[in-house]
Amino acid sequence: MSSNKQNPSVDPVIVIALGIALMAIAFALLVFKPNVQSLTLTAGSGAWSQLVVAFVTGITTGGLSCLAVQGGLLASSLAHQIEQDYIEQAAINKKAKQKTLKHTNTAFPILLFLIAKLVAYTLLGALLGWLGSFLTLSPMTRAILMIAIGIFMIGNALRMFNVHPIFRYFSIEPPKFITRYIRRTAKGTDTVTPLFLGALTVFIPCGITQAMMATALGSGSILMGAALMFAFVLGTSPVFFIIAYLTTELGARLEKFFMRFVALVVLILGFTTLNSGLNVLGSPLSFQNLTRNLISSNSDSVPVSESPQPSATDSSIFLSVKNDGYFPRTLSAPADKALTLNLVTNQTYSCARDFVIPSLNVYQLLPDTGTMQVSIPAQPKGTTLFFTCSMGMYTGQIVFQ
Amino acid sequence: MIKKTFKIPDMTCSNCAMKLESLEDILDGVKEINASYHRLEMVIEYDNSKLTDEQIITAVRKKGYTAIAQ
Repeated sequence: MSSNKQNPSVDPVIVIALGIALMAIAFALLVFKPNVQSLTLTAGSGAWSQLVVAFVTGITTGGLSCLAVQGGLLASSLAHQIEQDYIEQAAINKKAKQKTLKHTNTAFPILLFLIAKLVAYTLLGALLGWLGSFLTLSPMTRAILMIAIGIFMIGNALRMFNVHPIFRYFSIEPPKFITRYIRRTAKGTDTVTPLFLGALTVFIPCGITQAMMATALGSGSILMGAALMFAFVLGTSPVFFIIAYLTTELGARLEKFFMRFVALVVLILGFTTLNSGLNVLGSPLSFQNLTRNLISSNSDSVPVSESPQPSATDSSIFLSVKNDGYFPRTLSAPADKALTLNLVTNQTYSCARDFVIPSLNVYQLLPDTGTMQVSIPAQPKGTTLFFTCSMGMYTGQIVFQ
Repeated sequence: MIKKTFKIPDMTCSNCAMKLESLEDILDGVKEINASYHRLEMVIEYDNSKLTDEQIITAVRKKGYTAIAQ
């Protein structure tokens, strides 16, 4: 039985340093790239920023997470190459009476493996996007999907932290016949093996990949689903390549360190997604809606008569829709009176343009520059109407007094 | 042939189950291994005239896990 492992000769510190460097690149991308809105992925506007976020998620956590799950498969696909190189080199050395050993040529099979993985996941993304297109993605459906994705991610993070055995059920176990088939194929000796195994990784996705697959489903578009998965897997590839090339398998100690890190990131992403879902649902339980009244000063609340817009009247209120959210975040309005809400955009290109008032079932895509009016029926005193962008990132409220 | 269950408390993901099932191809006398991350266990069907518990536990340890016979 040949060994499937290459003994790593690389100091774990170097690998960690590489991870930190990649993180730094990712943060730099986030900081210097305009219109990157948040670490929340849903359908809607800002397609480019969603792809950037998918790529950054891939390069930061996805690569490590996937490597932990799929690394064994990659190592298996490399084993033949390693063995072959060793035999060839041993034969050469015997003839030449040398004792040196050429470095194993694992770069090419890793590359093949990753290319196959990229193609397979892009096709999977297209399929998921196509399936998602059959779902009517109203803001409500999207909110429910986001909440489900958030819970799934939080569950997976808690599983990784080993909080309680129940969270193990958040990990999807592939059917036995698939794992058996993959394992047996991994022992193949043809040159197509890395390609084939790379494609088979779609059956053993890691937690973050599964969350990204859910996002592709939520996109409801073949193109967007494919692009999301492409961007994500492309992001995972450098980490996969570098670490796989250096150490075909992560050491147990290192794996635990990375798992904790990945779990933390997944937990944060999970809460962010869940919170966004609650916002889109118009729930008062979202973080912003819970804390707005606690932390907002009186100056944040603007009554109709004191609205900064010059044309504000008793029956019309104005909301400025900017790239970084809605201003003011809290509007006061008279109770028991029908109102017109004027949504004013001025070169607004962020998802704030997808304006939603969940409780009134209002969903409006605003022009990038201009004013759009929304009729608000009379509301009893004390009512609070929450509004948000379709991604649940930017929020605000109208308080009826 | 006997069927025996081993607890594997240090499995961390479903890939661990796959790694343990690969012992099917390594250990002589094994008919089938079904490992489950959800249950943190491995059910192994094997010929006890060819393989002992100790050998199984050692093989599992080589994969990086701890096996506890039930």
